[in-house]
Amino acid sequence: MSHLSAENVSVSFAGLKALSSVDLQITPGRISGLIGPNGAGKTTLVNVLTGFQAPTEGTIKLDGAALTGLKPHQVRRRGIARTFQGGRLFRDLPVLDNLEVTGVGLGMSRRAAIAEAEAMLDWIGIGALGTRIAGTLPYTDERRVAIGRALMGRPAYILLDEPAAGMSALEARELSALIRHIAADLGCGVLLIEHNVGLVLGLCEHIVVLDSGAIIEEGPPAAIRDSEKVRHAYMGTAANTDLPVLEAME
Amino acid sequence: MAVAASLANSTAAGAAAAERKPARFALARRTILTPVLLSLLLLAIALITVTTGSRPFNQTVIDVFVRVILVVGLYIFIGNSGVLSFGHIGFTCLGAYAAAWLTINPMMKRGSLPGLPEWLLATRLPYWQSAVLAALFAALAALIFGRVLMRLSGIAASIATFAMLAMINTIYSNWESVTGATSSVVGIPIVRVIWPYLIGAVVAIFIAWAHAISRSGLALRAARDEPTAAAASGVDIPRERLVAFVVSGAVMGLGGALMAHSIGVVTPDTFYLGLTFITLSMLVVGGMGSLSGGVVGVVLLSALIQALRWLEAGVSLGESTFALPKGVQEIALGVIMIVILALRPSGLMGNRELALPRSSRNK
Repeated sequence: MSHLSAENVSVSFAGLKALSSVDLQITPGRISGLIGPNGAGKTTLVNVLTGFQAPTEGTIKLDGAALTGLKPHQVRRRGIARTFQGGRLFRDLPVLDNLEVTGVGLGMSRRAAIAEAEAMLDWIGIGALGTRIAGTLPYTDERRVAIGRALMGRPAYILLDEPAAGMSALEARELSALIRHIAADLGCGVLLIEHNVGLVLGLCEHIVVLDSGAIIEEGPPAAIRDSEKVRHAYMGTAANTDLPVLEAME
Repeated sequence: MAVAASLANSTAAGAAAAERKPARFALARRTILTPVLLSLLLLAIALITVTTGSRPFNQTVIDVFVRVILVVGLYIFIGNSGVLSFGHIGFTCLGAYAAAWLTINPMMKRGSLPGLPEWLLATRLPYWQSAVLAALFAALAALIFGRVLMRLSGIAASIATFAMLAMINTIYSNWESVTGATSSVVGIPIVRVIWPYLIGAVVAIFIAWAHAISRSGLALRAARDEPTAAAASGVDIPRERLVAFVVSGAVMGLGGALMAHSIGVVTPDTFYLGLTFITLSMLVVGGMGSLSGGVVGVVLLSALIQALRWLEAGVSLGESTFALPKGVQEIALGVIMIVILALRPSGLMGNRELALPRSSRNK
């Protein structure tokens, strides 16, 4: 079965272990979650999976073939897309061009890239924004454009790095509907990295919990919700904060 | 979030994309007004020059057109990549000397440049053929240098391009049998009519426009704004930078060849820090984010420089003559540049292109 996997991945920065022997698997059409407190190593793992960070140990494999050592653009061309915390749109370019960049980056002609970008914007429900300069968009629309940009060329996998950050409850619900469509309709394997635990519990079939660079728990949402280890290491800290929402969002 | 129902399955989006494919050359048709308007601006300047019949003015406008070629060449790389290059005038040097090698009388070459290979000593081409070959020679050099330099980013890349300029200058200042070292290489056929320079400038403008609307131009501008996101979008940034580096190298080489034919003599120091400074200034003042910025920067700063030279030479006011002290030209130019950049940090044109009121953005 097709899958993207991290096998025994460790990353050290000047002796400090950011990731320690992490195993993770993402399969097409399935939504997986990656949660953990700040500094747990979530974004480092996304960087390793997408070629932005070389692992100190371990390998990244796509359908059994090693991806380790490939550059980010080569990883993307193999069908592994990602978004970034904060959007990272091409702020001086129109929204349509933001999506078109991925098209041409994947080898499409500009004509074909424009056509797919327009269709993608409509699919996401933001077709009216095509001519807007990306830097002028409100925060929520930035996130949607970033997802549209990552979906260009129909990647087999998409890694969403905190897509709901700063969103209201209503906007987060709309986002979760979109993520379901991405997995169900496009057949994309989704890895959702999110601080909004409620969103993750409501969407994901399988959740991995990282703490201090190591996996402390993994399993279906019910198991994560009931895990003492998770409560202690991660959600326990939320008892006194308004951060993670423990109830699953539907 | 309203996900369009009609596009909610994986094949529908693809089918919709196929149906929407814009008409062939739609992007070119939408954006071609900018190079056309810029070319018409230069044509108008050429026609006014020819009408006045003034020989000094003719030479001044030839200089302007050569600078347009050089600044447009700079724009192709710097404007699209965001990497400040201090080395591009090196390609102008290569183009100018290539034109000299290809067009000087073989008898003269045997005397002044005896180290050239026999086939080159025996070659004498028309100026326009030499200009094309000089552009190709500079492009080849850009390809060789660029394969190393384009792996670098930011200030490291800028310093490396300056090192490249210094290398080219040092080689051309010392390889006496091939370049004449620091001596002037004379005997280059001088072309005094304005039209070849106008054609060269228009060709440079259209090359820059074609690159800007190409896949490579779009990918490079994205990498300029957000390199990390561009790489995550599949953009091979060193490759796209290399493409722009080679195209801009060719344009700089073309400019060098025409510059050589406009003055008839070349020395390595003609193509060093002074020309680097003035051409970069023109690009920055006009606005390095747009093709129009480059052209407008050249025209305005050239007019300013000419006016200051004129005032330095002295202007008769009735019985007396008013003249600015020598050196005021450089000082005034520096002050004006600082003022323009303080008021408009992204240059006079910003990121806008010259266009009719409804479509001010190009690309």
